Amino acid sequence: MPDELVETKDGMKLRKLVELKTTTAEEYQKAMLDRVEYFKEKNQQKSQFNSFLQNTVVKAFSTLLDLKVNVDKALGEENLKKVHEVLDNVLLFGL
Amino acid sequence: MYHLDGTDILDAKYYRKTFSVCPECLGRIPAVVKEDDDGKVYMYKTCEEHGDFRDLISSSAKYYKWTHYAKKDKDGKVVWQFEKNGDANPPDCAIEDPRGCPYNCGLCAEHLSTCSLALIDLTNRCNFNCNFCYANVEKAGYLIEPSMEELERIMDHFRNKPFPAVAIMFTGGEPTVRKDFPEICKMAKDKGFKEVIVATNGYGFQKKKGGLEWTKKVYEMGLDTLYFQFDGINNVTYEKTRGIKNLMQYKMRVIENCRKVGLSSINLVATIARGVTDIEVGNIIQFALDNIDVVRGITFQPVSLCGRISAEEMRDLRITNADVIQEIDNQTGGKIGIETSWYPLSTIVEFGRIIAYLAEVDPIEFTCHPDCGFASYMVVDPDTKEMVPITDYFDPLKVIDFANRFWAKVKHKEKEPLKFFENLMGDAGKTLDNGLNFLDKTQLKARFLLGVLQYIKKPGKLMEMFSRLVMNGDWESISSFTHGTLLLSSMHFQDAYNMDIERTRRCIVHFGVAMPDGSVKEVPFCTMNTLHRPDIEKQVAKKLTQKVKQEFDTSLGQAREDIEREIQPKVAQNGGINKEEK
Repeated sequence: MPDELVETKDGMKLRKLVELKTTTAEEYQKAMLDRVEYFKEKNQQKSQFNSFLQNTVVKAFSTLLDLKVNVDKALGEENLKKVHEVLDNVLLFGL
Repeated sequence: MYHLDGTDILDAKYYRKTFSVCPECLGRIPAVVKEDDDGKVYMYKTCEEHGDFRDLISSSAKYYKWTHYAKKDKDGKVVWQFEKNGDANPPDCAIEDPRGCPYNCGLCAEHLSTCSLALIDLTNRCNFNCNFCYANVEKAGYLIEPSMEELERIMDHFRNKPFPAVAIMFTGGEPTVRKDFPEICKMAKDKGFKEVIVATNGYGFQKKKGGLEWTKKVYEMGLDTLYFQFDGINNVTYEKTRGIKNLMQYKMRVIENCRKVGLSSINLVATIARGVTDIEVGNIIQFALDNIDVVRGITFQPVSLCGRISAEEMRDLRITNADVIQEIDNQTGGKIGIETSWYPLSTIVEFGRIIAYLAEVDPIEFTCHPDCGFASYMVVDPDTKEMVPITDYFDPLKVIDFANRFWAKVKHKEKEPLKFFENLMGDAGKTLDNGLNFLDKTQLKARFLLGVLQYIKKPGKLMEMFSRLVMNGDWESISSFTHGTLLLSSMHFQDAYNMDIERTRRCIVHFGVAMPDGSVKEVPFCTMNTLHRPDIEKQVAKKLTQKVKQEFDTSLGQAREDIEREIQPKVAQNGGINKEEK
């Protein structure tokens, strides 16, 4: 962990985090995936993580998101703003 | 800054009228919240009998103005704002005191929010004796400890309302000193509380003998989360705040025991006092990152000022939410920036309502006042493996804006589901209408999800979980999502000096107390501690015995019988020397 450690007169160890980088990045993801496993086991067929339909929909959205992120980059900021405006109106239309 | 740059909002001086209480006589008096030339926001109020009072509300007027932001359309009509009115439950009591809020708790018809977090003081016994604590058996001179029957009555009160409380937190004193604490957790789960939380200094969890087994037991009986007192990583800090030496070992035993039994939801709670714990905020964040397998979040609580103090003392001690998040900005090298990372808790109200409506689950309503608290999620960037605020993942204001407009258009459907076939065919059409409503909700889900996803900037597992959360709004997705993140929040509880009735009326954290007449009093957190606690406790107090008085050695934070037990085994049964000492 890149940080500066300063010890004061009364023994305080003060850390100034100059860069908020963590060596535990993978543990974060693991903590989340462990939780998924916990629910899979605990709730069995009732768990959404064991639902074929749910998992397929999420996978589809994930693929869509990957694609979207690449399209966003190609569009540039100004064009993206216009696209968002149009999409907002389309998605709110008729409600 | 805050999407307000270039607007006239930042140029205009903030000014708002409200009501407060006199810190001397606690009478209701008018107050003004306004920005001064020093760029800070103050509350001014005058009591006819006790004179003028001035208190700091926010050390950053710029930030304060952002949290009171209202989006307006071209005609100047407010489209949405951070200050909300919730869907309040029916009142529990009449408005008997003509002075109105906050003297009629509770709850009376003036309240504007439902209870999101129910609190019950399990006891005022405690193994610590912190000098600023309001709930302590030694100072009070009486015992507060509701029976199991009374606890059941309080839980039923919160769960049987039209908008039931989803989460419950046991407070004290130190709740884990109660021997029946595991059974109380089970009762809460059985009553349907989704989240069972204990506000604890860690007593029951840290015990050298039996602490691990006890932790396992309470986890199995239904405890979900520890709201864990954690002032820093230095023993010196705890000596100042709690008056106990070497407390970090004690705190680490709690973390280790939770880790061993799989209790992976600890929220660190740091009371922030100027010059004492404000210098530890970076340390605490680092500690959380290093223990992310069990630490889910950190709540920073600027200290409330109870009792009478001079204006000078007030200036020295008062610390606001803005000070805390500025300190976090300073101590994290600007990575969690005051200008970019934090949003008022009320931000997600409409977002939550949409998810609850579409997924048909109980909504969790954070309709508290924008001054009550701020939050930010920290997540790991999949590309750089660096911790970043979740605001790097998507533009929150755009998502909020979309969610607010979406909810404005669909909220009528919550109260009036489609009855197309029923109108045509009578009761026979109900089944067809159910199908129609299902299809309608499915298309709404798809629209909402697409609307939110268009503003997401980064893909990855976390965003997959986020899309599950939007689609299902269930406990599985909420819990799994939060396990992949670190929630930072800053909550500033009110005292008599800065009490703002507009905040009080929107409080979402309510105490429940079983009264001797068989009723349950539901009292908002800040009015309980500022106004009502002495009167209420007088009615429910039990006699204090010598045994209870001497139960703990508060200089060590341990029960006297445990200290003796730890010393005794060193003398072997036959009067010889214990094996360990050979």
